[in-house]
Amino acid sequence: MTLQGFGLGLRPQHFPEILGDDPNAADGVDWFEIISENFIGVGGPPLHNMMAVRERFPMVMHGVSLSIGSTDPLDGNYLKGLKELADLVEPELISDHLCWTGVHGLNMHDLLPLPLTEESAEHVATRVMRVQDVLGRRFMLENTSTYVTFEEDEMTEWEFLSEICRRADCDILLDVNNIYVSGFNHGFSMEAYLDGVPTDRVKQIHLAGHEHNGDYIVDTHDEPVPDYVLDLYAKAVKRFGHVPTMIERDANIPPFAELVRELKGVRLIAERELDMVPA
Amino acid sequence: MSASLADLQSMFQDRLLRADDAIDPHLANGGPFMKAYDHAYRARLIEILTEDFEGLHLLLGDEQFFKMLGEYVDAHPSTTRSVRWLGRYLPDWLKNSENWGKHPELASMAAFEWMLGLAFDAADARLVGVETMTRVPPEAWPMLTFTFHPSLHTATLDFDVSAFYRAAKAGVDPDGPPIPYDATVTWAAWRHPEDLIVMYRFMEKDEAMALDAAQKGITFDGICEIVAGHTDADEAAVRAAGLMKGWVDSGWLIGIDAEGMSW
Ligand SMILES: [Fe+2]
Repeated sequence: MTLQGFGLGLRPQHFPEILGDDPNAADGVDWFEIISENFIGVGGPPLHNMMAVRERFPMVMHGVSLSIGSTDPLDGNYLKGLKELADLVEPELISDHLCWTGVHGLNMHDLLPLPLTEESAEHVATRVMRVQDVLGRRFMLENTSTYVTFEEDEMTEWEFLSEICRRADCDILLDVNNIYVSGFNHGFSMEAYLDGVPTDRVKQIHLAGHEHNGDYIVDTHDEPVPDYVLDLYAKAVKRFGHVPTMIERDANIPPFAELVRELKGVRLIAERELDMVPA
Repeated sequence: MSASLADLQSMFQDRLLRADDAIDPHLANGGPFMKAYDHAYRARLIEILTEDFEGLHLLLGDEQFFKMLGEYVDAHPSTTRSVRWLGRYLPDWLKNSENWGKHPELASMAAFEWMLGLAFDAADARLVGVETMTRVPPEAWPMLTFTFHPSLHTATLDFDVSAFYRAAKAGVDPDGPPIPYDATVTWAAWRHPEDLIVMYRFMEKDEAMALDAAQKGITFDGICEIVAGHTDADEAAVRAAGLMKGWVDSGWLIGIDAEGMSW
């Protein structure tokens, strides 16, 4: 089965509503995404509740600390834990970010920017192939929000992302909000980004809100998806067709029903755009 | 000049850890928004730790609590993939810190809260039931060793912080500060097997020593010897067997073995 429709990030605050008495509480939510790290090597209520949701919904797994771009060796223990979790959850898709999170054995717990160079591209592509081997699954890389670029850069971010995915034969989790944030921060064309990404590799889309500081934007996931990001999403739908799409909300988390309502708005946009795509 | 990926990452990380500026010439346009990374590093880690140590937060108050966490984050940068483990060195770090160590109730509170957190989401495991104990032949008892549920954790405290912790958790004013013990007391926390809620209680000295020994793989015989130091030698086996039964009833035991046999 391939993943279809619209999803939400699964957050512990919402377990009571999702698993509660109202069977319609999650109407309009076709699937959930979990943060892999939250369930690796743990048990008790977090694992129990997540698996109860899994029994009723398809799931995708999204990691934050693979650190695919780090020059430290890949963490075998982490990969083993990730594989064990994937074997348990049987996710439709599995992803992490095109970034690095630390070197010299440390973890900054942030999605840090990579220099957009041939050296980085080759390094990441080689490691993605190993990850796909270990997991025995196709893997998706997600574009992140960035706040700096490097003097060393040799290509655009979309060229970098596309080239890595071509070399490693992996897929793309396209975060439309992150395209907006990075495009605004670095002054590149968001439409050029969309046009530069290969249509056949985009298997999932993220939407989120952010914090606008006037001269730069920080990717905070603490607000509803703003209209201008939804406008960019509409353009993405036009280019990529229907791709499973979800809202990420990680802070200032509202009641579940509010996110369900917000997701319905996203679905309407996709349906509207898809009607305009010639069959 | 162009730097390698490895060098750029080292310089970038040094900037986050200690405001080193070697990365600056490599940031396009001088990196006007580098502050977003600078700020996020400490802020994110402190936010996570704040969720794990509510009792400590109430004990110290906002200003001292965040000052303390800032010092801790600098002393112990994260080495794990999950933020879940960030606070694991906090109890010992507090105890050994020149400044914070003057207030030993802080280390006690941190150890207590960390223990509860570990019990909450430790891995699951299948328990040994009471009927299992009855299947063990009497002659096997001296050589028995025990395996404990991953959710069982202990903390040895200088202060009774439990009432203060409950008040912090409930968001009410505590009746008073943590109470110093005459001698250290060891607490145990574990997950209730059915309800999955975290349970905790303090242990008498002999139980704490027996548990510690059992967790280290000491046989039932050895445990009886430890218990005998606290009671009549005749009563030691009865007391030790009673402790065992209590552990099974509480859902602490997942394995009883003796020389290649398991029950
Ligand atoms: Fe995302």
